[in-house]
Amino acid sequence: MASSSEIQTQDLLDAVTSGIQAGELTETPPAEVHELVGTIQALHVVLTPVEPRPEFVESLRTDIIQGRPGVIERAQQMPVRISVAAALALVAGCLLFFLRRLFDSDAPQAARRQREWLPRSLKISRALGNREWRFDKKEIQEEAVATPL
Amino acid sequence: MKNIFSRRVNHPELEDRELVALAKDDAEAFGELYARYVKKMYSYIFHRTGNTQDAEDLTAKVFIRAYSHIGNYVDRGAPFQAWLYRIAHNLVANWHRDQARRKIIALDDYVAHSLQSEAPERLAEDVEERDQLMEAVRRLPEERQQLLLLKFIEQLSNAEIGEIMGRTEGAIKSLYHRTLLALRDDMQRTPEAGQQRRLDGTEV
Repeated sequence: MASSSEIQTQDLLDAVTSGIQAGELTETPPAEVHELVGTIQALHVVLTPVEPRPEFVESLRTDIIQGRPGVIERAQQMPVRISVAAALALVAGCLLFFLRRLFDSDAPQAARRQREWLPRSLKISRALGNREWRFDKKEIQEEAVATPL
Repeated sequence: MKNIFSRRVNHPELEDRELVALAKDDAEAFGELYARYVKKMYSYIFHRTGNTQDAEDLTAKVFIRAYSHIGNYVDRGAPFQAWLYRIAHNLVANWHRDQARRKIIALDDYVAHSLQSEAPERLAEDVEERDQLMEAVRRLPEERQQLLLLKFIEQLSNAEIGEIMGRTEGAIKSLYHRTLLALRDDMQRTPEAGQQRRLDGTEV
């Protein structure tokens, strides 16, 4: 709890600061705050507003205000019936994807095995004349058919 | 449909509170708020960071964060700028924590900004004095720096500063008094000694 003299000093400091800021401090400051007046005046001189670059202000405004909204924001701005249709399409797509994985699970695995095997048998030969990389596709395909998975 | 039939709003004539309510759905309303406060935010952040690059980065972050959270803004009677200052204060605090070499913040930008109109013969002397004072201000605890910037740069009243800092008007007056005493004591010490300790008593 501040004493009454402390509160009085704080009020005086406040008044002196306002006077300095307004350029209206003509009287000698009271003794209680006299030693702090120099500090207040120095702060008043040093702490002045700083302007941003106009280009910065304009480009930031453009970025924020005219920037493209994100997916969520755009979805929120859509009419209700379009939002519902989009949600239904998304659910149907997911359903199809999982059903396909469930009932046709063997096909992707066979394809993956073939993809993993193919690079091992790539034979890259460099033509002597034109310095081109050449893949012997026919040979790779024959080797793929001959080798059991 | 609502955009076709809605009447044209003249944003500059509206008060902050009305603009905030509109800004939840209207980018132009937020644009008006931006125009009103971008210079204040930049100035505040510039004095807290000491360089143009970080001041611009953090000012951008303040408004991007404000724009993305304006939908959650609840008007509790405090001015809108208090909300912006709190965002700025938090971002600056995080920035200071991230600075590995906080003590070598360049003051060149500050001097270039603030001394453009000075007479040449006094320039060197003033630069030294101002550098010392700014260094002393930056050694203050964060809340005291914030108080000085809001009081001297923004020239806000104690009540307005209290709303921003979440304190009573009396607490702000008391903090201001203690801050001035600490600053005066620090300036009276030798510069070397002053740089060895923070004004809140913690060793650097």
